[in-house]
Amino acid sequence: MTGAFAIAQNTIREVVRQRMVLVLALFGVALVAASQVLSPIALGEGRKVVTDFGLAGSSLLATLLAVMLGSNLLHKELERRTIYAVMAKPIRRSEFLLGKFMGLWVTSAALVAGMTAMVLALLSIVYRDTPWLLLGSLTLTVVELGVITAVVVFFSSFTTPALTAFFAMATIVAGHFADDLLYFATQGASPWITRTTEAVYWLLPHLELFNVRGQVVHGIAVAPERLAFGAAYGLLYMIALLVAAGAIFERREFR
Amino acid sequence: MTLLRGRGGLFAALVASGIFLAGAGMLQRSYRTQQGGRPADELLYYPSGIWVRQAALGYETVAADIAWLRAIQYYGEHRLNDQRYDMIGHVMGIVTELDPRFTEAYVFGAFVLAQELRQPQRGLELLERGMRANPESWRLAFETGFLHYVGTKNYQAAARYFTRASRLPGHPEYVERFAAFTNQRAGNRGMAILLWKRIEASGNKYMQDVARRELKRLEATEGI
Repeated sequence: MTGAFAIAQNTIREVVRQRMVLVLALFGVALVAASQVLSPIALGEGRKVVTDFGLAGSSLLATLLAVMLGSNLLHKELERRTIYAVMAKPIRRSEFLLGKFMGLWVTSAALVAGMTAMVLALLSIVYRDTPWLLLGSLTLTVVELGVITAVVVFFSSFTTPALTAFFAMATIVAGHFADDLLYFATQGASPWITRTTEAVYWLLPHLELFNVRGQVVHGIAVAPERLAFGAAYGLLYMIALLVAAGAIFERREFR
Repeated sequence: MTLLRGRGGLFAALVASGIFLAGAGMLQRSYRTQQGGRPADELLYYPSGIWVRQAALGYETVAADIAWLRAIQYYGEHRLNDQRYDMIGHVMGIVTELDPRFTEAYVFGAFVLAQELRQPQRGLELLERGMRANPESWRLAFETGFLHYVGTKNYQAAARYFTRASRLPGHPEYVERFAAFTNQRAGNRGMAILLWKRIEASGNKYMQDVARRELKRLEATEGI
């Protein structure tokens, strides 16, 4: 496990050095500032606009960060052949993968936490109100990012960066449609299609479970059961994907 | 491309770029003039809220905010031009479909439908939908009572909704007063003036304008 932590620390350093992180962070700041510019024309709904744009923007940017950087992380190690130097040390491949996952998750979580802090500061200064219940949304968004990072790491364990990014984005989109998918499959389709769709439904990450933005923005706190359930589901899903990714990566041949 | 090298080349490129940009701007301006300055007709092509909700991928409230800003722009532009607000019901339907807790969208949409389009029934339908989605909102119940009082002149229904609002959590003190007054003074002009004054004091800037207009109208008919 110490090896995984060392890899995680190294991954954080590596990710932070990327120019894209800076661009995304600046874009996040600009987004929050722009939402504040929009608030005078929102007819008294400026506070809602700032909160909505801040929460959604942070989640979207962190998701982009996880997918775009994550799909390249393993490939780079293989391409530069730095992985051989790491593998020569007493560290298992699955530990290496876990370290990569933790590093990427921490970085994307830091981005989303930073942007939420900016939204909170802006609301405190401009509207004299600090809606701490946004932290409920932040918690679930961080878990969601963990699931997305695990999806990216899973695909990157056996395929190319381009395909990893494509599969990850497709999983994210389908993950938001999971409930609709099941609904349509049960509306008069053949039993074979219904069963297949049901299987896909259980395989997909149910990302809507982590979406409480529409609730907190209207001042409704996230119930502790929802937080606990979301965190437990997310952790189990992450573990499942990382175990599968580890198993695949252990058997992968490096060329 | 060799022409673009050097300081002179850079200047020429900037000038050429400025000319092309100005040309594009002039073209856009002439297109707008040809359209006769018709405001914001593109709202006709706004898709149903259900589909936008599906496409928003978990970012529905931001989509609702964008639709809300667009709706305000649409209302503002038509106020300055033709005072026609045909699409406001449609776009407020989208906003509230995307964010069913967006109380202000129900209130403002219903207000415009009732006061500007003279379709209080459609306004009440929008508020009813809002109350179904937010049964604990005293504001929606109060505004429904308001529309019944000044729009459909159904004083019994107004009293019922004011009373309902006065029983919901978070209501301000004046809601109880209106509930009591409506039961005693149904159809009273003074009561209508009080209600409009409440909108003048607490509504958004457009609602305040309408409230001032209605107050003037009520004052003008006082002697009749």
